[in-house]
Amino acid sequence: MTKLALSALCCCLLLAGCNLQGVRPWERNVLAQKKMQLDPYPNDSYLDDHIYYSKESSSGGAGVGGGGCGCN
Amino acid sequence: MQLNNKSKPVRHSLTLATATLLGSVSAPGYGAASNDWEIDSSVLYYAEDGRVSAIEPVVRARKTIGDDEFLTFRLVVDSLTGSSANGAIATTAAQTFTKPSGDATYTTAANTTPLDPSFHDTRVAVNGEWEKPLQDNLKGIFGANLSKEYDYTSLGASATLAWDFNSRNTTFTTGLSLNLDTVKPVGGIPDGLTAMPTTTTFTKASVGDSDNKTVVDVLLGITQVIGRKTLMQFNYTYGQDDGYLTDPYKILSVVTDAGTATLAATPYLYEQRPDSRVRNAFYWKTVHQFEQDVVNFSYRYYWDDWGITSHTFDARYRYELGGGHYLMPHARYYLQDKADFYHYKLVDGDIPRYASADYRLGDLSTTTLGLKYGVELSENSEFSVRAEIMKQQSRGSGATFPDVDAMILQANYSFLF
Amino acid sequence: MKNQGVVEHMRSPAFRFISSLLLVLALSQPVFARPAPDFTLPTAGADVNLQAYRGKVVYLDFWASWCIPCRNSFPWMNAMHQRHADQGLVVLAVNVDRDAQAVRHFLDKYPANFTVAYDPEGHIAELYHLKGMPTSYLIDRQGHIVMSHVGFRQGDAASLEQQIEQLLSQ
Repeated sequence: MTKLALSALCCCLLLAGCNLQGVRPWERNVLAQKKMQLDPYPNDSYLDDHIYYSKESSSGGAGVGGGGCGCN
Repeated sequence: MQLNNKSKPVRHSLTLATATLLGSVSAPGYGAASNDWEIDSSVLYYAEDGRVSAIEPVVRARKTIGDDEFLTFRLVVDSLTGSSANGAIATTAAQTFTKPSGDATYTTAANTTPLDPSFHDTRVAVNGEWEKPLQDNLKGIFGANLSKEYDYTSLGASATLAWDFNSRNTTFTTGLSLNLDTVKPVGGIPDGLTAMPTTTTFTKASVGDSDNKTVVDVLLGITQVIGRKTLMQFNYTYGQDDGYLTDPYKILSVVTDAGTATLAATPYLYEQRPDSRVRNAFYWKTVHQFEQDVVNFSYRYYWDDWGITSHTFDARYRYELGGGHYLMPHARYYLQDKADFYHYKLVDGDIPRYASADYRLGDLSTTTLGLKYGVELSENSEFSVRAEIMKQQSRGSGATFPDVDAMILQANYSFLF
Repeated sequence: MKNQGVVEHMRSPAFRFISSLLLVLALSQPVFARPAPDFTLPTAGADVNLQAYRGKVVYLDFWASWCIPCRNSFPWMNAMHQRHADQGLVVLAVNVDRDAQAVRHFLDKYPANFTVAYDPEGHIAELYHLKGMPTSYLIDRQGHIVMSHVGFRQGDAASLEQQIEQLLSQ
């Protein structure tokens, strides 16, 4: 299982490595949209987290910050 | 303890007094800024087939209080009724159990999974969060949280820092949260692995009225813009729980021999879990847009020192219908390997140090399928509804717990002003 | 009581001005008066050319409809245009949106009395090596960039105006 996790991580990084430079500041129109945020439906994710925390034995995961219009 | 979020890792600390003293949104003489309030209101209805159901309204309000500075407040009321599995196994004869108070009993018919019908509970939780720029490319999010129900209180605080690099294409986040919980179960804390009385004549052995638990969580994350239409996040979270981690209402059945369902002379023992738990999770999320549609996919690998490991796959596809309407199918698949001390039942004479028959610690899988519909009512408001079905099944061979089926319904109304 | 004293001090206009001036200076890049790269861009009317503004002070701002702080910058830029145009200030706001409809929608909500030019391919944004959105430049009467500033914050408005007035007096 740890091997699976490690190879998943490597794949992610490889994919990410395709363009780690990101985009120019003036090219963030798509990323600025609400539906492109990491947590676009805050109540949905709060309620889901709550349900699965009560019904399963795992926790942790999602964090905050990043993406968006990159303004200021 | 069913839909009760006993101790959710908290993230944010609020210094309300200071926050309200810090300026207002618009500098005088230049005109007002755009809408500074954002409100998200929702109602959730959760219902398990023949078991627990809950209604949960949530209101979240976010206000812009300065340049890139926000205050968020959330209020949740969680009203729960119904019954849930107490951990005992079904037998060929009817069974009688005492309620947590010890003042009454309930009976389960033969060949039926025992469910404790005592759960009527209302929980109220409030959460506040202050987001503030600290330096160029560095922001802090500070929060506090309080949750209260009749037998459980949770108080927490947290701080998160987000650092932008690389023209804000890369963000490092680090966070720390601390939670202090107190459990005061009905009838007192039972002495673990001692007998649950089957009549009201006897009282359970108790080690006190209440006990505490501390939870510490640490988060390390990277968010990376991959392209004009793609964003990824990688997080590692570490958590440590210490104190009373047992469920005071759950028991295990004790049988005379492995392979039979004949109950021993002392048929039921209260469960006992370790008093510490070290948790880890690795999480990856991707958001990608096609022409207009957006796909959101995440994977989490979790492992802890109770022997539990799990994989969570979650995917959402936002399909734009045009005219501000969208449909969003959702699929989630969860796979869990049991805790070391999980036992379906115990054998008389072979009682381990830690044991629990709570099916939520067992080998299980949860499959969820759902559909959400949303519509922009105006430029500043949106309405949406979602309906999901969830099925939990035990994995592995041998005598296992029955499936739990649940339905999730939620309506939302969000607006800016 | 002590806390209240500190906060009261922080609310004084002088303190606020000085701290935002320092913040603006910290965020601004002291470019040693390099010449502003020339460009010609379309507007709603006739094309604009930067060199043609020699002899005037130019506040050059790069903005987009999806940039939230830009909504706050428009009322301020209108105020700058209104107060200082006759002293020789030109407010030139270059838009980098690819979606013309989004721009029209933004301008309907936040009207501009100053000049708006269009750079949908981002060539001029590239030429100026923008480090963030929005980015603004102050160009003196001799055509040199004397200040560049990433982001727009209400708290910086007063000190930005101070810098404009200083350049106008030259």
